[in-house]
Amino acid sequence: MSQSTSTATGASPQGGASQTNDSQTNDIEVRGLSRSFGEIRAVDDVSFTVRGGELTGFVGGNGAGKTTTMRMIMGVLSISAGDVLWRGQPISALDRRSFGYMPEERGLYPDQAVLDQLVYLGRLRGIGTAAAKKSVTDHLERLGLAERAKDKVQTLSLGNQQRVQIIAALMGQPQALVLDEPFSGLDPQAVDSMADLLREHTSRGVPVLFSSHQLDLVERLCERLVVLAGGKVVAAGTADALRTQSVMRHRLVLSGDAGWVRDAPGIHTVDVDGGAVLLEVVEPGAEHRLLAEALRRGDVLEFAPQRPSLSEIYREVTA
Amino acid sequence: MTTVNHSDPSAPSGRSPETPDRNDAGRPWLIVAGREIVVRLTNKSFIVSTLVTIVLIAGVGAFSAWQSSRSSTTTVAVTGPAATQLVEQGAAAASTADDKVSIKPQSVADDAAAKAALTSGSADAWLHQGGDGWVLTAKDAPDSAVEAGIGSAVRTQALATNAAAAGTTAAAIEKGTVLTTTRLDGQQDDTLFIKLASLAFSLLFFMAAILFGQQIAASVVEEKQSRLVEIIATAIPLRALLAGKVLGNSVLAFGQVVLYGAVGLVAVAFTDYSRLLPSLSVAVIWFVVFFAVGFFALACLFAVAGALASRTEDLQSTTAPMTMLLAVVYVVGFSVTGTALKVVSFIPIVSVVAMPGRILSGDAAWWEPVVALVVMAGFAAVTVLVGEKVYRRSLMQTRGKMSWREGLKSADA
Repeated sequence: MSQSTSTATGASPQGGASQTNDSQTNDIEVRGLSRSFGEIRAVDDVSFTVRGGELTGFVGGNGAGKTTTMRMIMGVLSISAGDVLWRGQPISALDRRSFGYMPEERGLYPDQAVLDQLVYLGRLRGIGTAAAKKSVTDHLERLGLAERAKDKVQTLSLGNQQRVQIIAALMGQPQALVLDEPFSGLDPQAVDSMADLLREHTSRGVPVLFSSHQLDLVERLCERLVVLAGGKVVAAGTADALRTQSVMRHRLVLSGDAGWVRDAPGIHTVDVDGGAVLLEVVEPGAEHRLLAEALRRGDVLEFAPQRPSLSEIYREVTA
Repeated sequence: MTTVNHSDPSAPSGRSPETPDRNDAGRPWLIVAGREIVVRLTNKSFIVSTLVTIVLIAGVGAFSAWQSSRSSTTTVAVTGPAATQLVEQGAAAASTADDKVSIKPQSVADDAAAKAALTSGSADAWLHQGGDGWVLTAKDAPDSAVEAGIGSAVRTQALATNAAAAGTTAAAIEKGTVLTTTRLDGQQDDTLFIKLASLAFSLLFFMAAILFGQQIAASVVEEKQSRLVEIIATAIPLRALLAGKVLGNSVLAFGQVVLYGAVGLVAVAFTDYSRLLPSLSVAVIWFVVFFAVGFFALACLFAVAGALASRTEDLQSTTAPMTMLLAVVYVVGFSVTGTALKVVSFIPIVSVVAMPGRILSGDAAWWEPVVALVVMAGFAAVTVLVGEKVYRRSLMQTRGKMSWREGLKSADA
């Protein structure tokens, strides 16, 4: 009440309404997050935002710091520096309780029945027994495991155990999802069901952060991606933004030899193979001069910008 | 300008219908304890081992009850009226001492017939005149009750005869020759029984502590190894997880000990030692109380042992200090006597076994178990605090096993 009054009187010009409004969007905001293990800095000043209603892909090589970052977001690893915000406020244990989390290494109680242990995990997250049972049953049906509900986990195949772990994260309408390699070990059909499930969560405004090595999958599913290398964010944004950020490449195919292109001003040639050249435009406008020169010298069979694939961008930014 | 509800910024509109009811929020440890109990109670080997133990305890009771209620009849071969009279007097004396012993004479023609009766088994013993008195011959050693009965008949008769010859009476001669033993507290001497009961306390505590302790450690490392603990840690405080585990297993261990104790007391009621039931019951009740507090302290330490390991294979070495401690308690519990016993009966954990033994033998003042219990409760409180700290630190540490020393001094994960 007092805050409304102060806003109305203009006592805090930049605070108030717009600030608080931001906090209502379901964003996970990571700010300057760092973590050291002894001398090794596993995560170094990492900042990014996982927006509500969007799938954010978290990519990077082995040891890039993805898992460490996710564990810090989920509070299972203490933070050396930086902070994690949820809806604009420092995240609390109670907030995390409503998050769905899938750790990197997987495991369940081998001796307990699928349904029983999922309901147990749901109850620990504060979901009532009846609601947990319903949510688990629905998910088991969706993932084709309905008839295995009473079976002990150790009797399931690894792929099916993976599905059970997915359910443990997705059950009971979580407010946010943090999933470490959720697609690894799934067959293509299960990947599709999983993607559909994640879409349902983003459509209710939930932010989803998932790490993956499968770049084609990330490209297909994600609105945004965060690329990590050596513990640092090397690229972040929508796939299209990353493409425009990266230097645009063109492919030029001439009827004659294209060796002369190497000396063209404002152009960096990546590769020359007979009449075909892969080039990067260093000075904007240089491509027009190049094309004019090429037409003067002979026939131009092809001249087109190359839309880089995500894996090309990835290789470029992590190089 | 956007209107904002400042009064409750953490609850944006439209959230509540989507959010399932978050009940149980205040007592997640209860959910954990519930799971520990249910998983254990539906475990076949646990049920079977419990039933087998109950059958064993009841069986020992039933056997000794049958043993003590068994009546025996001894047939003594005799060749003349003098021997017959002695056997009859002996029978009277023996049944006064123990009504389950009966002796009856069997007249035979001569010594040869008596020997034949012994050999064939139709008689158990043969009373006959020897060099300067009576001889009781049996196939092997004669039954002690029979020997005592007939022996006293022979002595009484000989005394009477000898006294008459000396011009006095048997009573005059016997006067002042009998030694009667009594105890100051008016109780009978039951050292052996007390020893056995102490041994039973030791064994029961040792078994239950090892069984349930290992169970706690195993369930902790199971969650750690499978990284389930990461999922659980995002849902509830680790303190609640530890509390739930310790509570659930303590309830189970306690329930089992109460069950065994009750069956044991019922079994004792059917034996000759039933007169000891009141003092035994008091000792058992104290034992159960001590057990509950002592086990709680141990349970925390076992949970820490589990958290220090990172794979099930490490458990052997991380629980080794606990196993050693329990073995010492076990041995001390029934081997120490005198002043040493008084001292150890105040030392936490050892007191679980030592104090009930002292209560049973009647040498503990009323305040002694109370003090020992308070000391142990203090010890339990310390292990809970320290245990919780180490548990929290080591549970997220997934690289190899940690030593107890590392666990105690390591920084938070």
